Amino acid sequence: MDTVKESVFVPAAQELISVHEALALSQYMAEPVFEEDIVPRKIMEERKAGVNTYLKALSLVLFFCIWQIISYLNAVSLWFNPVFLPSPVMVVQTGYAYLQDGTLLNHIGMSFYRMLAGFSIGVVIAVVLGVLIATRRDVDNLVSPILNMVGPIPIFAFLPMFLIWFGIGEMSKIALIAYATFVPLITYIIDGIKNTDPILIRSARSLGATQYQVFTKVILNSALPHIFAGMKISLALTFSALVVAEMMGASSGLGYIIVNAKNWFKMADMFLAATLIGLEYTLFYGLLTLIEKRLFRWKKAGTDRAIEK
Amino acid sequence: MGVIFQYIHKAFDEANGQPKYILKDINLEIGTGEFICVLGKSGCGKSTLLNLLAGYLKPDKGRISVDGVDIQGPSEQRGVVFQQHALFPWYTVRENVEFGLRIKKRKDAAAVAAAYIAMVGLKGYEDAYPAELSGGMAQRVGIARALVNDPQVLLMDEPLGALDALTRDTMRKELIRIWQISRKTIFFITHSVPEAVYLADRVVILKEGQIAMDTTIALARPRDIRSPEFLYYVDLFSANLTGNGQESMIAE
Repeated sequence: MDTVKESVFVPAAQELISVHEALALSQYMAEPVFEEDIVPRKIMEERKAGVNTYLKALSLVLFFCIWQIISYLNAVSLWFNPVFLPSPVMVVQTGYAYLQDGTLLNHIGMSFYRMLAGFSIGVVIAVVLGVLIATRRDVDNLVSPILNMVGPIPIFAFLPMFLIWFGIGEMSKIALIAYATFVPLITYIIDGIKNTDPILIRSARSLGATQYQVFTKVILNSALPHIFAGMKISLALTFSALVVAEMMGASSGLGYIIVNAKNWFKMADMFLAATLIGLEYTLFYGLLTLIEKRLFRWKKAGTDRAIEK
Repeated sequence: MGVIFQYIHKAFDEANGQPKYILKDINLEIGTGEFICVLGKSGCGKSTLLNLLAGYLKPDKGRISVDGVDIQGPSEQRGVVFQQHALFPWYTVRENVEFGLRIKKRKDAAAVAAAYIAMVGLKGYEDAYPAELSGGMAQRVGIARALVNDPQVLLMDEPLGALDALTRDTMRKELIRIWQISRKTIFFITHSVPEAVYLADRVVILKEGQIAMDTTIALARPRDIRSPEFLYYVDLFSANLTGNGQESMIAE
């Protein structure tokens, strides 16, 4: 019995060993990989971030290429009226022509100015009022019910009133843009201030900080990330307000180009203005993100950092 | 002079129209330079006692004075080290330690802070943010930050509770070293019996809001945690905490 068992078992064992050896051999052959310089994953990821920038740029290039190809194919095979979809090249040509006669820079400049003025005024008012509401019970009781009632009304419902109150000039537009920035932002500011960790306030007080110093050095610092998040979210509404304000009762600006182009059926002009609005928004958003990264270097949180890839 | 608690009562709630006292008739005198440990189970009122001394809470009855002056809210004369380090996350180690000096506009802030950072053994980490530090390192920063103001008393609310056993052990030795250099009065809260016996000149056991035991530890430093005298104190306090000698506690 024993001899039979052995004779069956031994060849199988030999086979096993040979497989094992083969594995070891393959590992040995793969060894040069480990001789490479060891680069910490954190550094590798920072290098990859550079690649990410290229990928992001590539995505935009790809978008314009596909747009160009579709409008070109449409011009050739006439799926629909080619006037409806001008190609990016046509849009750039239109833009170049306006750049030559000097009108484009004026329009861009006006939009930029209105947006910057309205956004800044909105942020300043939101910060001042937000701080008062969050720190003073009496102001909170007086102002919050009004804000809660008026806040949810779509801001564009106010445009005709703003036009009547502030006139057809710059005032009404800037006021609407400021209001559009203010409404979503103030919630974030109040939340940010109220969410300050009480233990940080205690520790600051035990280090000798006065009430005022606690506010400037602890509460504001703690609320700042919330304020920036709020600013980024308000920005979309700020731009909507800008375009709407310029579409109704303006003689310059990117929104005006769109309305004017509609009257004269200049499709390329519309696309040009829309693209420029998109670019201006991206620029502002990028600027805010850049400032954020600079200011909040101390923040190490985020889903990306949970698990190394 | 030191710290004096007199007839301290504190309640947060009422039951049947009567205040439910967290602290009831606490009378305690702490000498200058003394290292005192308040020992007790969770909910015994030890943190409340510290919060009263820090000035975050006000007693319902009684008074607390430090060097003869009654406490009026928080002050840099009573530095606090918290269990969850409570460092300002937006400041670096250096900025955190300098905080107390900068708000007083002290010209020598940088030099003084550097000396304390060196004392707690964090040279080379001045520019790190709290998020980049380990638990033990963050706690050292917390201690340096409180000491920079040269307080009369250092209040520590279970500062080693959130650390792992090995780091805790090192930190206990560190703490004794720092205390021997700085000669501060330390008011230390813990629920660990061996920790209290290792660190304190005197141990106060708090039970249901009242002082159940107040014992001076007559052991020379550094203390040997395996010596019979050390274990005698551990057994004594453990028995008092659990209420009888039958139950024995699982050692750390």
